[in-house]
Formats: sequence, C-alpha cells, structure tokens
Amino acid sequence: MARVADIIQRESCFQPGSTLCMGCMESIAFQNIGKLTDNGKKTIFALGTFCGEVSTLQYPNPVAWGRGETTPEKWEKSFGVIHHVFESAPGVAEGIRDTADMLAKMGALSGPVQVAALSGDGGALSIGLRTLLMTIHRRVPITIFVLINEIFANTGFQFGPTTSPGSETSTTPVSELVDGNPATPLDYIGLTVAAGAGFVAQVSPAFPKFFMQTVEKALASSETAVVFIPAPCITGWKFGEGETVNLARLSCETGFFPCFVKEKGQKGQIKFVDLDPAKRPPIENFMGPQRRFHHLVKKDSKTDTFCMRPGKEAMMQKIRGWIQNHLDSLNQLT
Amino acid sequence: MTKVETGAGAIYEKAINLEKVRAAHKPLAEKQTVREADGNAAAAYASLQMWRSVIFGGFPITPSTKWLETVAAVVSSGKVGAKQLKLLEAEHAVADYLAGAAAACRDLIVSTATSSVGLDHMAESVRSLGASGLGNILLIDVYRATANYPLCIEGDPSDTLAHRDSGWIQICCRGIQQIYDTILQAPCLGMHPDIMTPVMPGYYGIKDSHKSSRLLLEADRDIHAFQDALIAPSKLPGLINGDTAMGNCVTSNLFQGYKIDQKQRMENVFKVLPKIGKLFEKQFKRPGLEFVEKIRWPKDDAVDLAIVGMGPDMGTAASLTEAMQEKLGIRIGVLAARLLTPFPAGEYSRLLKRAKGVLVVNQAHHYGRGHLGLDITQACYSLDSRPAIVNCFAGMGGAILSDATWEEMIQHTSRAVKTGEKLTPPVVVHEGRIEWQG
Repeated sequence: MARVADIIQRESCFQPGSTLCMGCMESIAFQNIGKLTDNGKKTIFALGTFCGEVSTLQYPNPVAWGRGETTPEKWEKSFGVIHHVFESAPGVAEGIRDTADMLAKMGALSGPVQVAALSGDGGALSIGLRTLLMTIHRRVPITIFVLINEIFANTGFQFGPTTSPGSETSTTPVSELVDGNPATPLDYIGLTVAAGAGFVAQVSPAFPKFFMQTVEKALASSETAVVFIPAPCITGWKFGEGETVNLARLSCETGFFPCFVKEKGQKGQIKFVDLDPAKRPPIENFMGPQRRFHHLVKKDSKTDTFCMRPGKEAMMQKIRGWIQNHLDSLNQLT
Repeated sequence: MTKVETGAGAIYEKAINLEKVRAAHKPLAEKQTVREADGNAAAAYASLQMWRSVIFGGFPITPSTKWLETVAAVVSSGKVGAKQLKLLEAEHAVADYLAGAAAACRDLIVSTATSSVGLDHMAESVRSLGASGLGNILLIDVYRATANYPLCIEGDPSDTLAHRDSGWIQICCRGIQQIYDTILQAPCLGMHPDIMTPVMPGYYGIKDSHKSSRLLLEADRDIHAFQDALIAPSKLPGLINGDTAMGNCVTSNLFQGYKIDQKQRMENVFKVLPKIGKLFEKQFKRPGLEFVEKIRWPKDDAVDLAIVGMGPDMGTAASLTEAMQEKLGIRIGVLAARLLTPFPAGEYSRLLKRAKGVLVVNQAHHYGRGHLGLDITQACYSLDSRPAIVNCFAGMGGAILSDATWEEMIQHTSRAVKTGEKLTPPVVVHEGRIEWQG
C-alpha cells in the first residue's frame, strides 16, 4: 500500500478544464482516482454518458483528461479515454481489457495496462444494469467506478433506481397527494456482490484515507472491482455552496450511503456509520440542507436545527426503515 | 520509446509490437485448398485467416449462428493461434465490446456476425460506430427480415437496408466464394486512412448462409500478402498505444464539421474500392470488389431492359434472360448490387443510360417504391433519356423467386416500356402473379 502522503504527490489524469458544476463531488473523486492511477501502468478509461463525461470531454473546451500539460514522454504515463454510448462503459472496458490481454499473451505489449469503466448510476444501474452484472459475472479484471447522485442529472434531475425515498425529482414531484419518490432504491451493493465481483466498495472522498486505500486495492484486483462513489449533486440535490463534502460525510454517517468494502472470500466491513440508529446523527441533518427534501424537513428557527415537518411521519419512517434494512442487509455480508 | 504527435494525440511507436501479433497467427490453410462450405462457414474462415483478426465477439441469432459456432470451434482448437472469442449476453453488448477492442488497437481487426433484430438490438452502438472512425470493425450481417410481426428467419435484406444511414460501408454478396472474397477485402477498405469507416458485408440468410458449395480457400500467407500491401499501421493513436481521447461531445456549431468529414471519408470509398478489387483480381484471379456485379451485361451497355437486384436470386434472373430475350424480342441485362452504401449512383447512371426500362427487384419491405428502387430512380434522374423504372417487390421474407415470378416481372416491365410510363406504381409479385399494386 502506498502512503496517502505519497499518493497525493502523484500526477492526476484529471486536469483542470472540466465544466462540472462548482462543488461537484465527481470532480473531487476524479482528481483522486486520477492520482491513484499514476502507478506505473498505462491507464485507459471507458466512459458511459454521464455528467462526468459530457462535462469533461466537450470539444473545443479543454479535454479535462490526460496526465500533464502535454502528452507524457513515457508511455506508462500516457492516458487513453473513450466515451461510447450511455450504458456501455463496462462492455467497452471489457473489449479494451481483452485486447490488451491478448497482446500481452502474444508478447506484443510493452508493459502493463489498467482499464477502468466510469459511469453514472443511471448508466450503470438503470439502462446498463445488464451490462454491469454480466461483465462482473465474466470476472473481467477491470475496475468499474459508478458515481451515485441518485438522478439522471444530465437530463434535468429525473428519478432513477437509486433515488432516495421521499426525494423530489423532476419526475417525482411533490404534491398534496405524494411526498416525492415513493420507491426505495436498488440494492446495488448486494447485486454486485451476488454477481460475483472480486471487490465491492462504497467510498467517498469525504473519508480520504479510506477512499485512497480502497481505490488502490480495487485497481489491483485480479477480478472485477466495483467502486460506488456517492456524489452529492449541488444542482440536483439543491444545496448551498461549500456543503458538498459535509453532505457526503453525513450521507454515510446517517446511513443513506454507508461506506463499505468487501473483498471476495473475506468479510465485508461497514465503515463510519453505526448500525444502531440511536447512535447515528438524525437523518434530518443530511436532508435538511437539500431542497429536494424541503417538503419533509425544515429548519427550526428557535433551535437552528433541522426537524421533520408535521404530518410527514409516514415518509420519514419509510426512509428510516429503508436505511435500517439496507444496513442490516449489508451487515449480513460482514 | 518514440513518441509521435498527431492531430488526435500522441502515438508511442513501440507500445505494441505488431510483428509479434503476426507471428502468433497460425495458418488455417498452408496452401490453396478446395472445401465444401456454406456461407456462414466461408465468412468465418475468412475472418479467421487474417493475422490482424484477433478479437471476435458474438451472440447467436438465426441465420448467422453458424459463423459464431465455426469461429468458436476453430479458436478453441488452437489451429489459428492466439485468438479471443468473447461470448456476450446480447448483441448490444457485442457491439460495445467491439467498440472497446477496436479503439484499443486500431491495427487489429475485430469482428462479429448477426442478423435481423440482432442488428437492430445493436443499433444504438452501430450508429455511433458508423461515425467513430474505427474502420477496423467488421460486422457481418446475414440478411433476415427485421420485423417480428410475423417473425421470419429467412433471407430478406430489410435488416441491412434499415441501417443504410448508420454510417457503415455496406456490401452485398451472393454465393459462397463471393462471401469469402468480400470479407478478405473489406478491412482493406474500412481501414484505409482516407476512409476509416467500419464495414458491414452481408449475404442472404438461408439462401446463402445455409447453402453449401465449393469454396476455394486461399493460403493464409497469400491473404496476408494481399492485405499487408493495402493496410498500413494506423496514423492515429489507439487507446493502448496512444495518449488520446475518443467520443467527445461537441456543440451544434461544430457538429456539422464532423459530418462533413464523415461524408468525405465515405465518398472516398468510390476511389479506393475499385483499386482493392483490381489488386484482388490480379492476385487471386477472381473478381474483386466492384460497385455492381455485371452478371449478364454487354460491354456497350446496349440493353433495352435492365434488371437490377441483389443477392443469389439474381442468378436465376440471368439464367432466364436468353429465353426471355427471344420471347420478347428485346435485349436484357442483369446487374447485382454489390456496394449498397455509399450507393454508387454514378456507376448505375453510366450503365443504365441506354436502357429503355429498368426492373428493380426489391426484396425488403418498404412503404414506398423500395430502398433499391429509390436509389436507382435517383441514379437515372440525371440521364438525358430516362428509362421507365418499374419497382417490383418479390422474395420478401426470403420467399423463392420462381422462374414464373421472374417472367412476370420482366413482362410487367416490358409492358411499361411500351406504354411509355416512366414511373409505374410498385407491385408485389409472387409465384408468377401480381398480388398487389400500389
């Protein structure tokens, strides 16, 4: 394991120039993943269509990917990136991986190649769930990063399979009849473990040491590694500037997005969140700063704390129930 | 390692040693060999004999499945050296997989075969790849009716014709030898630096895919010599040997520039294809790629009635022309379409300039006059003396085009020529009868 102090000195393959929103967690994640891939191996990323693609590969804006100001002198520092269709990232990455492996088998490749797929949760877990699970099932040695912002952000913040219960999205509007999204999210961690992934984790740059160590392990996995990265979306979740990392931390500590890691054959670990709801921060602390939950939570002006709005017990209970069930389910893997 | 800057990023010249790839290939045929093969096996053999062809992807669908089974059998036997066949969960996944493999190394050829709704299932990816500049992808389409109401597994080119705007070079084959020969030439066209466009060779399901006949299998070394004379190392970086980005987004003010480039690359097919065809003919003593196959056609283009169609049924038409010429007292010529996209309108215009009538046989459903019919009409539009153009639908769903059907279509066209009507309503002909008139 490299020391975090050394990793942060490395050269990232994600450079300034993207048009990601100010305060987007994806940008923070990419910068750190980019440094972790500066490990002596040639790096190739396959991108599905998501914010992390349309905001980083838009010509003639600067392409935000690549190591250094100019093309590197050394091949192992060089970087290849391809965007194909929405749901395709794991499949495209598999084609790249197999080609590199065939060349290596023939003795035609001059050094090691690492391949990663990057998708949003819409691309990976909605339209692309089949590809994701089948790529894992085939044990393809790639690292799949899935950025979870709970919505189809590119198209204007619509409901997706990871949307939290009660969340207001463009297609689950709040009305007198409904409190936003009525559904509970897909158990994507359980699914990817069941599909046979060699390494499954949920990490956040809000916990930087854990993030670095876990992604480094994922990149070294001999089977498919899947890394979910909850990404607070400043425009979709509708929160104020400067709250991104704080919300990412709270999303874990309140149980919405528990940090988790499991290597095949070993017990999983839930990190930075207590299984006992009484020992967790109230979910209102995470929900309150976000306008998507405005119909459920408000700020008490007297105490300056977030609290449930009257009459919203049923939905709040539903959210608490989903969180506990999900944590209990993850705990079965530990 | 030497780094070469290009307009699309840097190439690291020794990152991939292609000589090692060539050396890893084992020949399927040490010398020219005669085999009995059906169309799918012939296509598979061609795919396997190319040293650059290392990565295959597949998902079974009738009638293309035997291509996949043949590739699987040969790859697993180790007879052709190190090759990778990836069996994927759906056609869309196959196309995505090939996108990654082709982009990883532009100097390798990646291939698959599919049919009908399999091609449709790939559509999202296929349309992207058509514009990608990845000319090292071969998508062999074994023609089968596309619509599933009703489902029909026989040969009908509605699948490939539905993808005429997907950006691929489309070539129609008829007969087992032509299938084999076309696939050997296709990458030379697609990977040409002025073209860089993927190729979709195709042939009729059942009628050719499942028909066995004599196949002259060329020696691998001769195939390699032919291809090596035409395929040079890519001047653009791939993902493995390059520092590059592919598949960027652009705004509307730049989009059309990309489309102009795509159009120009496609136009270049008209310049490059005949050269490849001539080189093939010179080396292998068989006809190479051409825009149109002149099955029965006079050198001076002096025909009264031209028959234009595609696929194996055109042989039946040619076999009937002598008797029909005598019966009707007219000169009849037969042309089989080879290059479907880009459509060689100029070539048809030149060939049909002396024809009084043109019978266009459309074997795929179309609400108007037929895909081929519209293209031929456009080709004849600029002629000083336009022929009467008669569009017949026959053989849809892979139906047999009997002698009686051909005779009725020829007589129907002959009647139109006599009346002087330039564009008659389309008809559906089956078993010698006009079953429907538009």
